[in-house]
Order: sequence, then structure tokens, then C-alpha cells
Amino acid sequence: MPTHVGVGFSQHIDPITAALEAATQAKTQARHEADLAIVFSTIHYSPSEFLPRIQQVLYGAKIIGCSTAGVITSQQIGMRGIAVLAIKSADTKFATAYVDNVQSQDMRQVGMTLARQTVSDFGQLHRKAFIYFVDGLLSDNAAIVKGMQEVFGNVFPIIGAGSSDDFHFQQTFQFCDEKIMTNAVTGFLIGGKLNIGLGTRHGWRPLGKPRTIDKSSGNIIQKIDGKAAATIYDEYFGKEATNLRSTKLGQMAILYPLGIFLEGEREYLLRNAINIQSDGSIVCQGEVPQGSEVHIMLSNKEHCIQSAADAALEAQRNLAGKRPQCVIILESLARLKLLGRAAKSEIETVKEIFGESTPLIGMYSYGEICPSQTLKEKSIIHLQNESVIILAIG
Amino acid sequence: MDLFYYINPQTLFTIIGGLLLLISGLMTFFLIDKNLECKKLQSDLNKLVRSFHEIDEQAKLIVKTDLELNKAQEELDKRLNGLEALQKTSRLISTTLDEIEIFTRIDKSLMMDLGFEKNLILVYDSAHKFKCRVDLGFSKEEIEHILISLQNDEELQSALKAGNIFSSATQATLKNDKIIKIFRVAHFVLTPILCKNGMLGVLCVGNRSDASAVTAGDEELISILANQIGQSLENAQLFEQVYRSSQILESKVQDRTKQLASALEEVQKISKTKSEFISAVSHELRTPLTSIKGYASILMTGKLGEIPESVHERLDKINKHSDNLVKMINDLLDISRIESGRAEMRFEKHKLAALIENVHDILTPQLREKNIHWTIQIDAGIDEIPMDRNQIERVFINLVGNAIKFTPPEGTITVTARIDEKMVQVEVTDTGIGISSEDLPKLFDEFYRVENDINQYVKGTGLGLSLVKKIIEAHQGKIWATSEPNKGTTFHFTLPLEKNIPDQTLPEGS
Repeated sequence: MPTHVGVGFSQHIDPITAALEAATQAKTQARHEADLAIVFSTIHYSPSEFLPRIQQVLYGAKIIGCSTAGVITSQQIGMRGIAVLAIKSADTKFATAYVDNVQSQDMRQVGMTLARQTVSDFGQLHRKAFIYFVDGLLSDNAAIVKGMQEVFGNVFPIIGAGSSDDFHFQQTFQFCDEKIMTNAVTGFLIGGKLNIGLGTRHGWRPLGKPRTIDKSSGNIIQKIDGKAAATIYDEYFGKEATNLRSTKLGQMAILYPLGIFLEGEREYLLRNAINIQSDGSIVCQGEVPQGSEVHIMLSNKEHCIQSAADAALEAQRNLAGKRPQCVIILESLARLKLLGRAAKSEIETVKEIFGESTPLIGMYSYGEICPSQTLKEKSIIHLQNESVIILAIG
Repeated sequence: MDLFYYINPQTLFTIIGGLLLLISGLMTFFLIDKNLECKKLQSDLNKLVRSFHEIDEQAKLIVKTDLELNKAQEELDKRLNGLEALQKTSRLISTTLDEIEIFTRIDKSLMMDLGFEKNLILVYDSAHKFKCRVDLGFSKEEIEHILISLQNDEELQSALKAGNIFSSATQATLKNDKIIKIFRVAHFVLTPILCKNGMLGVLCVGNRSDASAVTAGDEELISILANQIGQSLENAQLFEQVYRSSQILESKVQDRTKQLASALEEVQKISKTKSEFISAVSHELRTPLTSIKGYASILMTGKLGEIPESVHERLDKINKHSDNLVKMINDLLDISRIESGRAEMRFEKHKLAALIENVHDILTPQLREKNIHWTIQIDAGIDEIPMDRNQIERVFINLVGNAIKFTPPEGTITVTARIDEKMVQVEVTDTGIGISSEDLPKLFDEFYRVENDINQYVKGTGLGLSLVKKIIEAHQGKIWATSEPNKGTTFHFTLPLEKNIPDQTLPEGS
């Protein structure tokens, strides 16, 4: 039996109507059956209102998803709306899981718990990838991956995205079946006779002289070039640096992340400052190696779109000749900020590579987790910022 | 060893000294060279360090410029998105003239697309109290609080009525603080919705987060939207007024039509009763009149014995008056027959010229008596026209007879006939005493007689023209008169060229 995939989208003001419209479209296109539904919604819609309706329409399907700054489908980028991808395949198996209240727990342990839940549910089928959504407002959620790797092994593809809101960094949601959570992680294991094609890039370039991270611990950078870490922002942004995060300029700062040079990697490892501590330490989402070389990073629309094209081509290559059944895009909301109205061009470029009719769904995230594109054979899973992850399922 | 044996020690020392000197010289030269190379390297390194710093300074400049560009780009994108939403809203609301529909069309989603998480449109109701028509992002309690606070704040209302727009993008004022308190939103634009006759309501948009502070651009966008809403509301209200007026007018017209119809019905009833009465009375009168006339005639023949001259004279008067009375009764009967539709009109095609000539023949004695000139002008195109010959002959006899009556000797009577579209228009013109403008409209009323010198002496029933009018109308024609006192009168009437009425074939009632 072939795989059937459908994508639905609605911008209706009423959450219930929007959910019914999006879910029904997806279900109809997927020939009225679904094993798994991926749901992305902007924060204009209350999940407690719309999620039960999606469950009602896609009865029997496992549901996974999260809130986002904008939903992506082949037709549009909705800064307001609900998108649903429904997939039905006899050759594919999905197992979903979630862990709630993760902030109070050890992140590594959270990762292990999440992975084990899906594995126990999965049986003997060949596992292909694990995809998860974590509250993007959690600092240092990258450690979750380490826990998962203890279950899945170091070479197993794990892809993740931080759920987001509308650039206000206040509250995000994660969904798993009927559960609606904040401060949680949800994910699904996918396996069977399918191929997974993965590609990731960010397209940001280093600028200015290299500096050295003299002191860091975990996801906090204390000193750069002998000075308090946040001094780097003072130097580059001048007096505007004091407004970091609190104003429009604060939102703008995500366009200029710190770039850490990693020997052997194709691109720099990017880190957004999610908080500045009173001693001038910078808090990032993922860990920062002490002693590494750091730059301020910059990109533009052209590089941004080109990097998405490169990621899409790489994902297509990794499909090893199989026709893509659907494409999932998880990309940083910084890219949406940078591209603005040109964000549609980025999606058009991806569509050109996979074909106009390939079902496509995507979201804008606070942090992306993906095996990095190394120049060597072995890739390491990193939490990135400003990147686009393209996952083609064939 | 042999060599050292043969060289004396002094020479040996000299050679060694020379060699040492040479080596030290070479060493010195080498060190100087290295030193120079070091200095060059140091200089290169310094240059590199300086370049590095310069590059970093350039990078800072690039970052700041890029930041400015991105800010400008974002503002531009926001403006474009706002304009798109505004254009969509404008198109939607300008295509309806229904006030409720306007607010239905200002859908919450449209307001959301304008880029504000909170929106409120308050409009004055008929009692001049604010009423919430569109709301987004405000709780019911918040809306209630805003309605009361704004209604009670006359100072703020006056400022809005004067066309002032308030926005957190401009410098903080006391009024701005007040607005923040009323609307409980840190970043806002509050603008009046104005029309020609004053303020219709207010529009407020806002965002809570500092990261979404409103800009001067937002202020402009919202004021354009408020103007658009104002215009649409004004149009809707004007349309409503016009529509209501037309409804009232239509209802009045309907009432009046009903009244007129009922009055007409009443008049028709009365008219019918009158005709029936006249018809009945005339019949009843005609029989004894015939007897009176018969007995008078018998007496006048002298068969019942000689009658003195004075009696003969009286009997002659009885006979004449009886004739007048018979004529009057016959005219009344004809009028009532035509009115009630009982008179049979026999439409046949007849030559108009021949008919007029015949009338001329009949009236020639009277014309000669007063030596009146008779002229006739009939368009060549007029030949046979459908008519009841006897009735139309009566029309001509009446009109020409009247003309003879009121035209002094040596006068002229002209009869003309011409084609006017699908009708023949006939005119009978005299050079008589004329009719005053007051009398003209009543000329065709039954028993109406114009007061003039001639009428005082010439007897008439006052039914002739009334009968003429009924005959012409029975032919689907019209009749009217024009006159100039002391110059003459023209009677105009029309007859259709083609017969377009069915024969009135009802048999005569009597």
C-alpha cells in the first residue's frame, strides 16, 4: 500500500473552525486515513480549543506538534493559522512520547525517558529517525539529545526544534495526542521501509576578528578575550546593546548570533544569547566549548535562501533516489526575521527542488537540533541557532 | 701536526687571531641581518594586528549598518503588510451601505493582520453613548471599563472630537497616561472616527509588549483606516436616511393612492347613480312632454275649435319650450348612455372631408344669415378614419354651431385637420367674442354656461360641449379649447388614425 500524505491549513479566526478546516483538508488529501498527524499552530489559537477538534477529525491518528511563530505550507507562510500534516503508510511505523515538566528534571534523563518510551512502543521495525519538539524557552535543552543518544546510539539521526511564540519569548506549547503542555518535550520515532533524507545549513558568515572564549560552563559564556562575555555585544551594537531582548532591537539581536569555530565542521556553530546575566555572562540554549574561537556572525537574504537550497539538495541526495512523500521544514525564527516578506521565496526554492506537488509542512523554531554537516564522515548532533533543517521522507 | 711543528707559535697565534676575527665578523654580519629580518617581521605583525583591529572596527560598522537596514526593512515589511490589510479592509467596507455589515466585514482576522494584538472600535449609538462594535484581545470586563471611562472623560472626548490622534509613538503626555490607564495597553494608537457632521466613534489598537511598540507608521495606517471607516459609516447613514425617506414617501403615496381610489370609486358610484337617475327621469319626462306637445299641436290646428290669437301665441311658446325640453332630455340621455357605456358606437371608416362638407351643408343657412366666411383646410394625407359617423357629425354640428352663435356677422370660421403622429388633430376656429381664461377649464362641465352678452339672449342647455367631450373620449381622443377674448376661440380635438378600441356593441338601453 502506498504512502498517502495530506496537508491542511486554515487561518479562520475561530480556533475550532480553523482546526476542523485544516484537519479535514489534511485527512481528505491523505485519502481519509492517518497514522500520524503533525500539528503546528501560531499562538493566536488556544490549543485546548483546537486540539480536540483535530483529534476528532483524525480519529485514531497519533498527534504530535507545537506552537510556532509562523506555519509553513506549500501555499503560504501563515503568521496566523493552524497547519496539519496527516500521513498514512502501511510500510511505516510511528511511536510518540512526551515528558512533561522538564525544567525541574535532569535534561539527560529527560532525553533517555523520551527515547525509551518510543522504543518500547516500536517493536522490531527498523528505526529511521527521531523527531522532537521541546519548549524553546528552556535554556540548555540541548542536553536532552545526549540522553536520547544513550538509547539510540551516537550515529542515529535525531532532529529537534524548539517550540516558539510570536517573538515575545513568553510561552510556547507542545502537543502529544490529547496532551497540551508547556515546559515539555514531545517526539516521535519513525521507522519502516522508508528513507529519510536530511539536510541542514544556516548560511551565516563570521565577521570581524576572532575572539576566544576564555571561560564557559555548559551553556553559559563567562569571559571572552578576558572581558565579561556580554562586552562583545556592547562593542558591536554600542549603546543599543542595553535593549537586548526587551525591544524590537532585542528581537533583532537574533540576527547576529555568536559563531563558534569547530575544527572539521562545514559551518560555524551558532549560539543566540537568550539571556544576559548581571555579571555580563551570556546564557545560550546549547553548550559552548571553553577555549573555542568565537565571532559575531552575519547573513543576508541571498545567503539565507541559498543555504535553504543547499540543505534541500542535501536532503534530496540523502533520500538515495527515492521520491519524497513529504517534506518537513524546521527552521529558526531568526530566518523569518531576516527574510521578512521574502520568506516565501525560501520556501519556493525548497519546493522547486522537491517538486511542486510534494506535501510540505514547517515551523519557525527557537533552536534546531540536527546532526551537523561535517567534512568528516562522522557527524555530531548539535543544537544550532539560525539554521534550517529539511527532512524529506521518501 | 707537521704543519704546526713548522710554524712558529707567533705566526700560529696570528693566524688563529685572524680566523677568530673573520668568524666574529661573519657572526656580526649574520646577527645584523637576522635583526633586520626580525624587525621586518615585527613590523608585518604590527600591521597584521592593526589590520585585524581595523577589520573588527569595520565589522562593527557593518553590524550597526546592517542592524539599521534590518530595522528599516522590518518597518517597511510591516507597513506593506499593514497596507495590504488596510486595502483589503477598505475594499470590503466600501462595498456595503449597511452599517451592521460594515462591522461584520471588519473581521477580527483583518484587524489581526494589521499587526496589533488588541483592537477596539467604539461607535456612538442613537443616545450618544459609546457602543462596542469590534473587539479583539480585550475581556468583557475591560471593554465595560473602557466604555464607562471614555464616556465619562469629556476632556478626552473633546480632544478626539477636535480630530486629535493619540499614540504612544509620540511624546508621553498626560492624556497618553490617561489612555494607557483606560485601555490598559502600553503601546497604542487611539484615533477618532470622523465624518462631516462630527465624531462617529473611536478606533483603538495596541500591543502589550515593548517588543511590539507602535511607530509613527502605525499611527498613519490607523488614522487612514479610521477615515475609511468614517466614510463608509457616513455613506451607510446617508443611504439609510434616503432609504427611510423613500420608504415614508412610498407609504404616503400608497395611502394617498388608496384614498384616491376609494374617492374615485365613490365618484363613479355617484356618477352611475346620477346617470341612472337622469336616464330614468328623462324617460319619465319625455312621455308627458310628448303628450303636452301633442295636445298643444292639436289645439293649434284649431280642430277643437277656433282659438284666439293670444292663445295661439301662448300655445306656440308651449310648443317651442317643449322642443327645447325634448332636446335637453335627449342630450342628457345621450350623455348618460355614453358615460354608462350603453351607447353603441359604430366604428367604420369614413372620409373626414366629406363629413365636414356635409356639416357645412346643414349649417349653411345659419352661416349665410350672419354672412360668416367658411374656410376648410384638410391635409392631403387624411382620408378615411375610423369613427361613429353620426356621433362625430354631432361633434362638428355642436362646435360649428357654437362658433356661428358666438361669431359676429362677417366673421370667419375655419376648420382644419392635420396628422399629428398617430392622430388626426382637428381645429374649429372662430373669430368670435372669445372665452375668458377662468371659463376655459369648466367649458366641458355639464350645465356650465359661460356668462356673456350672447348667452343672455341665446338659449342653450349647457350640455352640448359635455356631450362632445364624451363622444371624443369614447373615440380615444382628447378635446380642449384655446381662446383669446374678443379675438376668437379654437376647439381642438384628436381622433386616432387607426382603430384601437373594440366596438361598443352594447345595445341601447332605450
